[in-house]
Amino acid sequence: MATDVKPGPMKPEEVLRLIAAQRGPAICIPTMTTGPEWRAIAPNDLSVGCVGFMGGASCLGLGIALARPDRRVLVLDGDGSLLMQLGSLATIAGAAPRNLVHFLFKNGVYHTSGAQGIPGGLSVDFVTMAKGAGYRAAFAIHDLDDFKRRLPEILKMEGPVFVELHTGLAEQTPMTARGGVPFPQQVTDLRAKLLRPRATT
Amino acid sequence: MAESIPASLIIDTLKDTFREARKELAQEVAEPPQHSHLGWILSVPDTHQKTVLAALDKEEQIRVLTCATEDEAATIAGGLYIGGEPVALMIQHAGLYASVNTLRGVAMDGRIPTFYMIGLLSREKDKAPRESRHSMVRYAEPLLDTFGIPHATLEGPDDVHLIPEYYRLSRQRKGPAVVLVGLETI
Repeated sequence: MATDVKPGPMKPEEVLRLIAAQRGPAICIPTMTTGPEWRAIAPNDLSVGCVGFMGGASCLGLGIALARPDRRVLVLDGDGSLLMQLGSLATIAGAAPRNLVHFLFKNGVYHTSGAQGIPGGLSVDFVTMAKGAGYRAAFAIHDLDDFKRRLPEILKMEGPVFVELHTGLAEQTPMTARGGVPFPQQVTDLRAKLLRPRATT
Repeated sequence: MAESIPASLIIDTLKDTFREARKELAQEVAEPPQHSHLGWILSVPDTHQKTVLAALDKEEQIRVLTCATEDEAATIAGGLYIGGEPVALMIQHAGLYASVNTLRGVAMDGRIPTFYMIGLLSREKDKAPRESRHSMVRYAEPLLDTFGIPHATLEGPDDVHLIPEYYRLSRQRKGPAVVLVGLETI
């Protein structure tokens, strides 16, 4: 049964557009409801979207961040997704990648599967969890103007940084906006962009 | 009869495997990652391979990251692969069962080369794993067969050549490949 959703003041699409405008050459890892909009905003770029292994975005981002400390990595996670691999907060904090920013789009529901409430709903305090796990910084942002003002600083902070973004529901989900580049092709493409395979004759 | 394998032999073999992987990558790409270490072990602590994990604590050329779950380990391995890093997972059979969806979604469907070393804790020395009285041991090979994942078992020191072979196999087939660690390492 769907819970009584009280959408946050920020539209996820607007948040994503702000991130896209300021990310520079950062690698981005969208998942679930951040996926369709990100695909439209940033096609064919330094991104790889997680579909088919819900909860994996934070760890995929961690692996890339550890491999490429010269690049900033931005994880565009969901609250339901993070709950599926909540231990990743401790694993990320333990690995302490200085180049990782973990954005959490918090809406209190599993939007993709029909907006069923996540355990605990909007009362789950992920900021406290991230702080307790050992992230270098963790905080919540409720307002788009505040996010816009703080984003340049966030993108320069020493990681791992956790930002809980209070958002409403996205206009599209992976179920309503299917398609996009298949995951294995995204992997191949991103790897090629990072490593630049030599031309074969 | 199966024999235990010394930790030092496994670690030396992993180092050689990672060296070879870096050399090959350097020939294939223009911008391989530049690190002082050779590669990564992603572990969820395994009683069966605890001597290897203990020895790795003192090893500077291999970075070890302890993960909270095997799901995490498989997904982090995917990220490291995207970034060009050599990596091996060290988990136990129970962790394989716990992380089957990630194995499917990341390593198989994602076509990401993923090399696993999986300890068969409680495997009897005088029995084939499939004949073990312990379900955790008995189901490992059938599960891997069900998913079409190539696997081999380290039955003693003479079998460590399987480590680089199955590492390379994971790269060649762009998916998971597994060596099962038959007896507890020493």
